[in-house]
Amino acid sequence: MDFATEVQPILNRHCITCHGGVKKSGDISFLFKEDAFAIGKSGAAAIVPGNARSSELFRRLTHNDPELRMPYDKPPLSEDEIDLLKRWINEGAVWGTHWAYQPPKAVSVPKIQETKGDAPIPKLFIQNDIDRFILAKQQEQQLTPKEMAAKSVIARRVALDLIGLPPKQSWFDAYVNGSLTYSAYVDTLLAQPAFGEKWASWWLDLARYADSKGYEKDNGRQIWAYRDWVIKAFNSDMPFDEFTRDQLAGDLLPQPTEDQLIATAFHRNTMNNDEGGTDDEEFRIATVLDRVNTTYQVWQSTTMECVQCHSHTYDPIRHEEYYKSMAFFNNSMDEDTPDEDPVLKQYNPLDEKVVRDIKAWIGKYDTTGLADTYDRFLRLNEPIYQVHHAKKFDNGELSDTKYLSLWPGGTCYYDNINSKGSQNLYLKYRAYHDGTQMTLRKDSLQGEVLARFTIDNTGGEIIRKIPFAPVNEPFRLYFQAENPKLPEQTGTSYITWFAFLPDLPGSEKMGYTQIESDVLRLLNTRTETVPVLLENPEYMQRTTRVFERGNWLTLGDTVSPATPAVLNAWNDTLPKNRLGFATWLTSSKNPLTARTVVNRVWHQLFGIGLVSTLEDMGSQSEPPTHPELLDWLSLRLMHNESWRLKGLIRTIVHSGTYRQQSEGHTADYQADPKNQWYARGPRMRLSAEQIRDQALAVSGLLSPKMYGPSVMPPQPDGVWQTVYSNEYWLESTGEDKYRRGLYTYLKRTSPYPSFMSFDAGSREVCTVRRTVTNTPLQALVTLNDPVYLEAAYSLAQQMHGAGDTQQAIAMGYQQALFQTLEPEKEQVLLSLYETALEDFSTNPNALQEFMGLPQNPNAELAALTVVANAIMNLDAFITKS
Amino acid sequence: MNRDPIDRLIEEMRLREAQSKTRRHFIRQCSAGMGGLALSGFLASCNNGNNVPVAPKYNSTPATGHRDLNPLAPLAPPLVPRVKSVIYLHMAGSPSQLEMFDYKPELAKLHNQECPPSLLEGKKFAFIRGNPKLLGPQAQFERVGESGNWISDNLPHFKKVADEVAFLKAVHTDQFNHGPAQLFMHTGSPRLGRPSIGSWVTYGLGSENQNLPGFVVLTSGGKAPSAGKSVWGSGFLPSVYQGVQCRSKGDPVLYLEDPNGVSRDLKKSTISAINKINKAEYASYNDPEILARINQYEMAYRMQIAVPEVMNINSEPAEIKEMYGVEPGKESFANNCLLARKLVEEGVRFVQLFDWGWDSHGTDHSTAVDLGLRNKCRDIDRPITALLLDLKQRGLLDETLVIWGGEFGRTPMKENREGKEMGYMGRDHHGDAFTMWMAGGGVRKGASHGETDEIGFSGVSGRVSVHDVHATMLHLLGFDHEQFTFEFQGRPFRLTDVQGEVIREILA
Repeated sequence: MDFATEVQPILNRHCITCHGGVKKSGDISFLFKEDAFAIGKSGAAAIVPGNARSSELFRRLTHNDPELRMPYDKPPLSEDEIDLLKRWINEGAVWGTHWAYQPPKAVSVPKIQETKGDAPIPKLFIQNDIDRFILAKQQEQQLTPKEMAAKSVIARRVALDLIGLPPKQSWFDAYVNGSLTYSAYVDTLLAQPAFGEKWASWWLDLARYADSKGYEKDNGRQIWAYRDWVIKAFNSDMPFDEFTRDQLAGDLLPQPTEDQLIATAFHRNTMNNDEGGTDDEEFRIATVLDRVNTTYQVWQSTTMECVQCHSHTYDPIRHEEYYKSMAFFNNSMDEDTPDEDPVLKQYNPLDEKVVRDIKAWIGKYDTTGLADTYDRFLRLNEPIYQVHHAKKFDNGELSDTKYLSLWPGGTCYYDNINSKGSQNLYLKYRAYHDGTQMTLRKDSLQGEVLARFTIDNTGGEIIRKIPFAPVNEPFRLYFQAENPKLPEQTGTSYITWFAFLPDLPGSEKMGYTQIESDVLRLLNTRTETVPVLLENPEYMQRTTRVFERGNWLTLGDTVSPATPAVLNAWNDTLPKNRLGFATWLTSSKNPLTARTVVNRVWHQLFGIGLVSTLEDMGSQSEPPTHPELLDWLSLRLMHNESWRLKGLIRTIVHSGTYRQQSEGHTADYQADPKNQWYARGPRMRLSAEQIRDQALAVSGLLSPKMYGPSVMPPQPDGVWQTVYSNEYWLESTGEDKYRRGLYTYLKRTSPYPSFMSFDAGSREVCTVRRTVTNTPLQALVTLNDPVYLEAAYSLAQQMHGAGDTQQAIAMGYQQALFQTLEPEKEQVLLSLYETALEDFSTNPNALQEFMGLPQNPNAELAALTVVANAIMNLDAFITKS
Repeated sequence: MNRDPIDRLIEEMRLREAQSKTRRHFIRQCSAGMGGLALSGFLASCNNGNNVPVAPKYNSTPATGHRDLNPLAPLAPPLVPRVKSVIYLHMAGSPSQLEMFDYKPELAKLHNQECPPSLLEGKKFAFIRGNPKLLGPQAQFERVGESGNWISDNLPHFKKVADEVAFLKAVHTDQFNHGPAQLFMHTGSPRLGRPSIGSWVTYGLGSENQNLPGFVVLTSGGKAPSAGKSVWGSGFLPSVYQGVQCRSKGDPVLYLEDPNGVSRDLKKSTISAINKINKAEYASYNDPEILARINQYEMAYRMQIAVPEVMNINSEPAEIKEMYGVEPGKESFANNCLLARKLVEEGVRFVQLFDWGWDSHGTDHSTAVDLGLRNKCRDIDRPITALLLDLKQRGLLDETLVIWGGEFGRTPMKENREGKEMGYMGRDHHGDAFTMWMAGGGVRKGASHGETDEIGFSGVSGRVSVHDVHATMLHLLGFDHEQFTFEFQGRPFRLTDVQGEVIREILA
């Protein structure tokens, strides 16, 4: 008897709510073996292996007294269930592990035989081994697959799935007329840059990518370089283990490249709270928790959120294990500051050369690694001390809870500062008044003066270098401000951070002065940036403690980094940091990473996962419909495809299962409403981005421009209404109006409205799956949104040149849907055309103001526009069939 | 003599009380549509026997059923409901309870004295630093009505209907910044990503009117709430349940208006053509999603007529307009109150009002508790009074829940931003104790639950949390808040998280 598939589901269904990770009624829990076999409060053992009659579990399930019979106050278990538990105990109560926590198993591909009397298997159905797995289950369910769909249908289907766009007419023609094989057609699509854009849309939902920081202020954030990195990673078919490693720990690689640093922005997509009066530490912690939750959600299909407050209700993960995972993520430098430090500065080519020159110059005169230190400081402004750690203000405050602001006579201090003997203090600040004398002292207000300097009105924020007395051990740093000319309680200056750097070498060498001034100039040069993840140096490390009941103010035991015991064992040769964690995650022994990827890629193509609960593969998840196929594909991904997703996708779209007709009978929907047995081809509504991209593509408006800052296509006035923000929706011009949806600026508190109507999220947290809805507001978008009207007009212009009305309509339909217009439908569209034509012919005013176009179209073109608009609203258009 | 329409209506209602049969309002259920496609037969055939699913599950790919064709189809709640719809009046920025409802004579005596340090220990404030001074109430109070509840003279009209409402005087929240506190108040969590109350409610109950959105949001005060659209977002619930903002300027609903030059008739022909072809599509695919889409296009067409109609307040009688104090064509709280009545009258499930401008820090005239706050009170006093009376005269108050409150309250201390003495009198954010009220079906009229200490700093009895308020709302709508869940990311979520108790003390 198998514990995981037969016994555990019964325990999970009926017992675990009261005897699980949260409640352990009667001291019994069926989550962990040791708890299940323990002596309960009643003094009896719940499970006595080999003896059901002496097991309290069995006794209680069959008790006559309703007060004692379990489940309490609920209907009893069925006879079959009780019988199964009884046999399990009598056979020795062998405890097992849930399938999701065992690594994928090698499986043999089912042999298919046609039994006499069954409906025949369509000739072309079996294209690869996937179809054998699928067919075996269909036969169990007494279902028969459909015939292969027409080439024209498959051509559109696979193009929408691989590149998110309809195919180019030339590829379509080549494939349909047979001059291009299916494999070649698929490979053509896989090689398109648009492939990366389509699959990035999927990944950016998981990564919670957005162009703003969230929360009340929701100010803009420059992080598009990460989006571009994702697109490029998909296009270059970067192996998924490398893709994982770079995003979770690119910064910890030896000599990380700029791309590897940009990849770490995955976890800088967390929200950042700039609202005045908020505690940065509270929101830094919220960020770290989100990183833990998102990491497990994205790679392990596991909900860690529960474990934040208590042991997992259903899965064998303990409360403190959450914080051991958190310990991996708790030492990044970012601290919820408005500047979002650390950010990677991306210098223009001229300045980039200067940065390199500086590095080379320092390298000539220094062998202690100063070249790297300066390079890092110029690119990342790290390591720094954020000012919000200030203690004991006297005549001063953290202005807006963000900036150090001392008033005349003001003081405060910082503990545990380590300047490592540096001779220079770097200060980022702004000041509006002249003549402030700032004194920095060691250990007390009377201590050694480490620096003394004057602060004058700066105009704006600057980074400045100040001589600093070297100190070699950690110390307490006092700040003291004096300005007799200023009234009381006036901020003398507003400091953002301070940092320490050793002198540049070679002060007597040629070019020193130039290098010195270049360093300061570059530090004060504004560039494009991207926030990145960087680990604190050892002397700035935080300890991680358990939050009792999830409350960050109630601290429990100190924990060090470790992964949950139920998952694959930790390899002791790995470093106990994010890099080790990423390696552990993509080990071939990890039971969940490959399965998670396979399941979600499958979902992208079929609209349903092999495990239908895409978010969860734990004890509460739906069991896989095709467990062997899931494992077969997972092993294939890791071992045959070396973690390359293009290979996985290619295999799936080559299957006969994928290429079936999606037409069904009512009986098919009754037999399998969700199509989880795949007895018909996939059919699903397109995503928000796809719907817009497709409309722009078939009308010829779509811009192929890739990458760069997000764009602001037209949206109705008054949609953006944010408190305190002086950011505006500045409508993009030229081709930027017609870029693919994934380049549209996403403000979390006010996302692009038409995308929201089509179920795109606001990306505040990780979105594993967009729920697909079907609402009247969607109809209003595609009927009335100027974007779709312009697309209709543009398509109509092309139709107009295609010949007579009939030819024009047929051409528009073909261009939009890649199908020939059937007579019945043609009749409907023709009659719409005539109605519209009559309307416009008899009502010149309508024509004059038609869609506010700069040039009035003639009645025929206007009528064709109405028809094109109707075509672009057809179910067949917004659906992948 | 030109009497105030509020007083006139109060008089009239007294007279009518004898014949107290209120006019039962029937909701117009426009199912006529246009295409005349017979959906009902198909619906019945794929309904799987679940005529009234009480806790619809959308977490996994939905099975075909009634809800799939129309996700806003009305559903009966699992328990007996006391109300059918909700009007939630949120004063964004958080009004001062100490100048409106929580009368503290002792605080007046302590005016300008240093705040006892013991009170401040372990407390965090957004802007108060060091040792602030206490600030006495900047309004006169009197007991009003049969209930004898205290109301300040900032709300002269509201005094007349105070017996209709139940006060919660000791609500508390653990959030003291606007964004998180508003999220907490409207989604049960201070972090983004959870569904708003209105989304939960429309998810659970659908809507009575299929020509209007089930969850409508109206804003006033010139700005949107701090937490942005997330306070009416659907979080992890299907997006169909998110609030639809109906605007006073531009299209009342985004993309509602037909393109220039396209007549209603032509739009009708267009949709009819689309649906004819979709019907042919259905004949070959048999995918129920196609039927749902046909349905949605018909609904969109009807919505294009129904929304502008309901959003037009000009057609209301002059007396009603005067009573609310509406300003047609502008974005105002008074307009929104009248719209709220019209919307619930039409069967909209949840109407959410946000009025911006209550953040009385005392940094300038407009945020001083003795100046700007008075103006804000005046802006809401008449409309809210009119709303309660108007609902009542139509027999709608019995089946509607009206809720009023901010995201937190304000300190009994005078704000000393950055530790400085300020020119105007203001109060900082304060979550320990603040006032909210509810009125309508199932709510005990004239009740007052909870009490704060002598200076109004903390609740001393009847403290209720934001979760308790949510539990009570759901209770009145016919839900057990602990049973009303949605599976997401592998666990069941509820509006009240793992807390919340129904506040029985204010139930009728």
